[in-house]
Parts: sequence; C-alpha cells; structure tokens
Amino acid sequence: MPSSNPLPPKENALFKRILKSYEHKQYKNGLKFAKQILTNPKFQEHGETLAMKGLTLNCLGRKDEAYEYVRRGLRNDLRSHVCWHVYGLLQRSDKKYDEAIKCYRNALKWEKDNIQILRDLSLLQIQMRDLEGYRDTRYQLLMLRPTQRASWIGYAMSFHLLEDYKNALNILDTFLDQQQKLSTTVDYEQSELLLYQNLIVQESGDLLQALNHLEVYSPQIVDKLTLKENLAELNLKLEVYNEATQIYEELVQRNPENTLYYKKLIESKRLTKEEDILAFYLKYSEKFPRAMPPKRLPLNYATGVQFKQLVDKYMRKAFSKGVPPLFVDLRSLYKDAEKVRIIEELVLSYVEALKKSNKYSETESTNGPKEPASAILWVYFFLAQHYDYLKQTDKALTYIETAIDHTPTLIELFVAKGRIFKHAGDPAEAYRCLDEAQAMDTADRYINSKCAKYMLRANLIKEAEDICSKFTREGVSAMENLNEMQCMWFQTECALAYQRLEKYGEALKKCHEIDRHFSEIIEDQFDFHTYCMRKMTLRSYVGLLRLEDVLRGHPFYFKAAKCAIEVYLHLFDAPLKDESAEQELNTENLAPSELKKLRNKQRKAKKKAEQESAQAREAQVKRDQHHKSRQQGDVEADAPQLDELIPDKLARVDDPLDQAIKFLQPLQTLARDRIETHLMAFEVYYRKRKVLLMLQSIKRAHKVDPKHPKLHSCLIRFLQVVKENQSTFDPAVSEVITIETKSLLSTKDAKTLNKEFLDNHKNSLKAALEGAIVMYQLEEKSQKEALSLVTDIDNNKFNDVDIEICTDILKSLRNGEIGSCTPSQLDSFVQRCHARYPYAAAFKPPQEAQEPTTDPTQTNHVSDQDCCGN
Amino acid sequence: MNIRCARPEDLMNMQHCNLLCLPENYQMKYYFYHGLSWPQLSYVAEDENGKIVGYVLAKMEEDQEDLKHGHITSLAVKRSHRRLGLAQKLMDQASEAMVECFDAKYVSLHVRKSNRAALNLYKNALKFETVEIEPKYYADGEDAYSMRRDLSEFSKKKDKKEEAPKNEE
Repeated sequence: MPSSNPLPPKENALFKRILKSYEHKQYKNGLKFAKQILTNPKFQEHGETLAMKGLTLNCLGRKDEAYEYVRRGLRNDLRSHVCWHVYGLLQRSDKKYDEAIKCYRNALKWEKDNIQILRDLSLLQIQMRDLEGYRDTRYQLLMLRPTQRASWIGYAMSFHLLEDYKNALNILDTFLDQQQKLSTTVDYEQSELLLYQNLIVQESGDLLQALNHLEVYSPQIVDKLTLKENLAELNLKLEVYNEATQIYEELVQRNPENTLYYKKLIESKRLTKEEDILAFYLKYSEKFPRAMPPKRLPLNYATGVQFKQLVDKYMRKAFSKGVPPLFVDLRSLYKDAEKVRIIEELVLSYVEALKKSNKYSETESTNGPKEPASAILWVYFFLAQHYDYLKQTDKALTYIETAIDHTPTLIELFVAKGRIFKHAGDPAEAYRCLDEAQAMDTADRYINSKCAKYMLRANLIKEAEDICSKFTREGVSAMENLNEMQCMWFQTECALAYQRLEKYGEALKKCHEIDRHFSEIIEDQFDFHTYCMRKMTLRSYVGLLRLEDVLRGHPFYFKAAKCAIEVYLHLFDAPLKDESAEQELNTENLAPSELKKLRNKQRKAKKKAEQESAQAREAQVKRDQHHKSRQQGDVEADAPQLDELIPDKLARVDDPLDQAIKFLQPLQTLARDRIETHLMAFEVYYRKRKVLLMLQSIKRAHKVDPKHPKLHSCLIRFLQVVKENQSTFDPAVSEVITIETKSLLSTKDAKTLNKEFLDNHKNSLKAALEGAIVMYQLEEKSQKEALSLVTDIDNNKFNDVDIEICTDILKSLRNGEIGSCTPSQLDSFVQRCHARYPYAAAFKPPQEAQEPTTDPTQTNHVSDQDCCGN
Repeated sequence: MNIRCARPEDLMNMQHCNLLCLPENYQMKYYFYHGLSWPQLSYVAEDENGKIVGYVLAKMEEDQEDLKHGHITSLAVKRSHRRLGLAQKLMDQASEAMVECFDAKYVSLHVRKSNRAALNLYKNALKFETVEIEPKYYADGEDAYSMRRDLSEFSKKKDKKEEAPKNEE
C-alpha cells in the first residue's frame, strides 16, 4: 500500500535520494535532501521523510532525535510500511528485537510482499529462535524469489532447525535437481551444500542413506577431510568394518597426530585385547616415527611390566631431547597409583645413574653414548612436578632448587616453583617466583599472563594490571583494553580477588563485564545469518547457532556467575551501610577538632571520588572515539549505549537476590550437571523463603550427588523452614512437600538425620564440618562435641583432609558458626594445621605471615584443573 | 596431545589461548568470521582434558588480482607445551586444507622482527621465505617480516591422490 501522503515527482526524487544516501552511508547528504523536502511548508510533516530523517540521525549517533523524528513520522502516516519498517530498524539497532518484530509485522500489513522487510523480519526471527515464524517468513521469501539460491536454502534450513528432516531434505533435493541441470562444475560452495545435505540425512537417523549420499557425491566434494571423516564414521556405525578401517588408515596417514583416528581404527579392526592394542600402536609408531599418539596412547592401556618398559623408553627419550611438557603429558596417568609408583621408581633411578655415569642406568655404563648434561636437569624438573602433584611439598622444593642450581636461567623452573608454593597454600611466595620468571623474559606474554594471574591470586590487583599493561595497547588502561579484548580469565581472577578483599562493588563490576561479553558474543551471530547463507558454510553456521544456544554453559560464565551470586548473597546477608548515614552517626561523639579532621577527610575523599568519576567519563569518551575510528566511520554509531558499571551502585542494589537470580538462571539450564548450581539456587531461594523452589533445588542437587556434604545442610535448613512455616502453606503446597520429603529422607527429625549423616560419612572431614555446624545450630549445648568433631584432624580417620577444608573449618570457627571459640581453642587448631601445612599462609603464626595485604583466611585453593587460566 | 580441525565451539577457547600467549588479540567476532568463512583452515591442539594448548587461525586472501593464497592470522602454542613440534604440525594441516579446499598456491604470514623464535620456526622448520619488511606493521610500531611458503608440494600430493584414488583398495 502506498503512503497516504504521496509526494509530487520533484520531492519524490529527493526522497529516493535520501534512501540511496542511507544505503551508501552518506548520512550527511541524506539529511540535506530531507531538509529540502521538509522546508517546503506543504511537506513539513511528511511522515516517511521524517522517519527517514530519524533513521539517518540514528546512524550518526543522535539517538534521542532519531526516536523523536521516527515517532513523529509514524504518527503522521500510520499506514505507511516505510514508517513502520524504519521504526523497526531503529528498535533493532537498540537490540529491542521483540519490539522490532512487531513493527515489521505492522509494516507487512500494509505491504505484505516487501522483500526487504521480510528479510529483516526473518533475521530477527532466527536471532530470537522463533523457528516457526522463521519458517513461515522463509516460505514467503521463497514464493517471491523462487530463482534465488538463498530462498531455497533458507527455507530448507528452517525445517532442519525445527528437526523436520523430511521436509528439509525434500526442499534441498528439489533445489539441487534444478541446480545440477545448470552446472556440473566442482566448486567449494556446491561442496559445502552437499555436506550440509548429508548432515541433515545423518541427523534424520538414516545412516545408510547418508553413506550412499556421500558415496554418490564424493567426486563433487572438495573438503576431503570432512568427507573421509564422515565416510569412516558411517561405515563404522553401519559395521562395514573393512571400509571403515581403510578410510581411518588414510586419515591417520593424513594427520598422524589425531588421537581419535587411532581409537576409531582400533574399533574398526575390532581389537579388544591389551596385547593386540599395544601391538597395533607399536606398528604405527614405526610407521609414523614423528607422531606422538602411537607412543603416548599405549601408556594408557599397558599395565605392570609392559607399562614399565614403555614408560621407561618414553621418558628417557624425552629427557634426552629436553621436552619440558613431559610431566604435563604424563599427568593423566597419575590416576593409577601403580603407574605413579613405577614412574617414581624409574625417575629416581635415573637421577642416581645420571649422577654417576651420565646414563639412565648404571648397568648400561659400558656401552653407548652418554646422555647430554641437560638430561639430569629435566629429570629434576620432572621430579619437582611429580612430588608437587603428590602434595609432598618439601621434596618438590628440594628438586626444584637442585634444578635451579643446575641451570639458574631456565624460566620453566621458576614457574614450577611458583606452582609448588601455590599448591602449598602460599600465594604470595608463589607470585614472587612468577615475578622472577617474568623478569627473565619480558617479551613472552604467556609468562606475563601467568605472573598476573598469580598476583591476582595473592590479591595484588594493581600489580597485576601493571604487569599486564606491558602487552596491552598504549593510550588506554590495561583494565580497559583487556575488557575490550574480552579477556575473561583476567576479569574473573580480578573479580575473585576483589571478592576476597571484600570490595564487593568492584567484584560485581568484573562479573557484569564478563556477562556483557557473553551478551555481545550472542549478538555477534546476527551478521552471520545472511553471511553464511551466501558463503554456503551451512554446517558451521548450524554449529554456530547451536553453540550460541548454550553459550553461557561455558566454564568462564560459570565461574563469573558463581562469584556474582556469592557476592549478592553476601550483600543480602550483610548489606553495605549507607556511607553518609554512617558518618552522621559517628560525628555525635566526636570532639570538635576530631570532627574537623573527619570533615577534611571526607572532603578529600569526595574530591577524589569526583576526580575518579570524571576520569572514567573521559575514558569513556576516548573509548567511544577509539571505537568509532576503529570501525572506520559510523557503522557502530547506532549501537545502543550500555549503562556504565559503577561499583558503588552495584554493591548497593535494592534487590541483590533478584540480581543473583539473573546470573543463576543460565546456570540452571546450561550447568545442570554441576551441583554448585543447585546449591547456590537453594541459598538464593532460602533467603527468598520460596519453599517450592528450595525443594526444586534440593531435588536437582540430590540427582547430581546425593552425598554432597553441602546438600545435607540445605536439607536440614529446608526442614526447619517447613517446620516453622507449615501453618501458612497452601494445602496443595503442603502436600507436595510432604510427598517429596518422604522420597528424599528417611525421617523428618533434623537431629536424627544429622546423626545418620555423620555416621554414614565417618571418613569425611568435609561432611564432619557440615554435620558439626548443623549439630551446634540444632542444639547449642552440643558445641563441645561439634568442635572436637572438626578440630581433631590428625586422627587418620578422615581421608579428605586438605588445605581447603582446614581453611573452611578455621573460617567457621572464627565466625561463630559452631559457637564462639576461645583464643586458645583457635590457636591450637591453627597450630595443628600449621604443623600439617607449614607453607600455607592461612595457618602461619602472625609473626611469620609476611603479606599484610593478604587476609590469610581468605586465600583460595583452586586446583589447576579448575582454574580457567591454565 | 591431539590435533584436529577447529569447530565453532573451539573458537572461544582459541581466543583464550591467544590472550594468554600473544600480544595481538581479537574480539570473538573475528574468530567467528574465520570459523564460518573457512571452516577447514583452522586447527587446534588439545590436551587429554580437551583444553586447547595451541591453535592456528587461518583464512584465504580473496582478492582477485593476486594468486590464490592462504594467510595465517594467528598461531600460538602455550609455553608450557613447547618443544613438542605442535606449531609445525598445526601449520602443515592448515596448509594442506588450503590447497585441498581452496586451491591455494602459497600461504603468507607476518612475524615481528624481534620474534626470533617464531622467525626461526617459519624459516627453518616450515620453509617460509621473507618477501619484504612491512614497516610499522604492528600497533606498537614494530616492523613485520612478510613471509611466504610455497604450497606446491601439497598440490602435488593432492594431484596424486586424485589421479589414482582407487589404487589403495
């Protein structure tokens, strides 16, 4: 439908030039033409021109005016598809996708076959995963443009995403039939399309058809690797073992470093006996002497004498050559105590023999060439890591020192030494080692990053930022540059350091920055909806869509969200006091001179804060400018402005629990298999007094790990809440709770439950701590029993004693969770821990503790496996 | 250690590895751009827990005037995993894919003048040749060597396979 207010030819020509200017990003020209129409009194309220003027202003970053003009234009011409389309585009640029979809739909009411609007609508639908809407729009596009490739592909893909494989394949078949009549040449795009088609066939479950399809089209597929990987996999699944074997052999030939190919080859050859598998690897290690997997993988299978022989050969070679990652490479074998024993025995024997004769074994001293002088260095290095892994700190330190004496210039040794201290609970000494390492090669960013990470572990945030700044862009602060580059490991470690330092606002700021990276990465897919359709890289595109659907399932998000939730929970339990109110209160009892001092101090603080925020604003402006210049022009000028994250505001939100829920929700869908998700959910809903949601969290946690000690205390607290509030529940709620608790618990009596729990987990100190806290909270007079339960750590009863749990106990003793303790009770526990863990900062007597900035109870013990920086 | 072609879900972990190891960093979108334009060309090295310890991020240069060629946008191996030959193995896989899927004649890259270790790898192990010096190529003002490696050895391998695809049966 045409506009209700058509322009005469001259003005209409001008209007077309506005559109053209917009398309060519010549926004200044666009405004000029708009002005020429609007200055004519007859057309000063012309709707479409006003709307286009607004859209153009938006691209110049003048957002408020943009909305004003677009809305005015729309009001003046509610039946114009142009006005609605423009309003939709404006909302889209502000990421208000739902609103934008509504606008496009209104536009289509007046012009149902407008290709551009339909395309724009389909993009938003796929971005928002309105798959059915997407399918319908793609249908319309196909009807309107049946000769375009993208029309067919888009329509087929909409069915694929809806898991309607049959229709997806029908559409592709029809399209390909026409295609092949037109062209028979082999090209990349055709090849990608065929592989995409095959993916759909595979996902439909018809493996035989998938195999046939690949075989028929294999000459037209240029991506031979994907072709072969799929052929091999399909043959294997269809139990065509000879074919599968042959193709996997070709694949190994092509990439002998791919471990999967060997495993699949073993499957195809149906080898199951240990000796057969070992013989298989031996054959391949001869065939591919430079390849790692055929030498390394047998170590996973071999046992006993066989293992000893293999690992002996493997390690000797690495020590002679000087392969620093040898320990990292073998570490996964350490799950097996027998293998650890064999490795230790061998490596210790190398030390003795190398010292005496420069050989790995004294019996070989008469023959063959001697080992290089560096061999013993790598052996020491290995042993240091070996004993560190086994938590034998003294031995580990002895070997690393011996190694450093041997070669004081090897950076890896200082990194290893730092790690030993980190594991032993001394983050300050650990960072000093890394600082030393870093100084030895300032051009290596890896060492620089490690050093920064260790500094953050020691709560030295400023120092970490300074170190990082050696590799960040000049002209902006390192913090900012790292944020811009989405450097999440740094931001997470920062957040955790701030959390330990009780700078909650700062911690939250970092967590929110990370959350925004995830939002941005989800936004990133937008441009690829059209791009991939053109490039025909459809398999990867579907991979991207599926990845984006679960993006916040990434461990980086989990870590940041956990920190944020913990901080918000803390802020709910102990809200920050309003600063000014606090200061007013204190002034009452002050002498005039002291009052004056205080006022001065306050003034200075205020001035400083103002300066800082001015600096922040300036930085923001600079950042924006930089952004603009970097994006070459104004491509991003229409992007929405995000609120500045102000630590103080973040720490003083009115609804910390609701804020926590925002971080929690993605975890509940994407990190369901981690019990911490549900334990945190319980903590949030416990504070919100939402019994059914508490119950839900408990049930989910129970499903993951019914024996988790923290779950026990959740259960008890849940029972208490139920007991105290039962009378207020709706009968239906009451019934649900009764039925569900029965299936979870043998009894409803908290004390009996606690006793059962403690009896069932006699060997666990972690369980003892939870049980003891519950015991005291149910009955204060049992404090003595509860205390002895957790402080008696040397009785060999517990098999899970480590620095972390001892630190937790100390924290509980200090904060009165098991009643108040006398200083001597605390002292004696600390001493016991100190004797056990002499390096741990948390248990050092005050005179020994060196780092005043580190609160010893707050040191963290994240294992290597858990931390993202590794 | 395992070397395989990168998938979309690897790209974030490649970015992480890049941020740890190299001064030239990119936002995620740039990784997506690579992974979705030339999905065959980027490779990762992962440890037994699936953690990325090295990667090569590669693309095709698609201007019409020049010979078809690939380009290495970024290559990194964690210092903790050096001396395993990972960089070379990653590069060889990426190069082979460039020839196979896109008919690349050579592969190019830039390296900092001061980065002797990398220079050594490219020159000696991977047979790259310096084409020219690009002054002030890097943001901090450092010059870059622009290097190239001829890929005809891979093309020959490809042709051989195509000539006699049935011989091995």
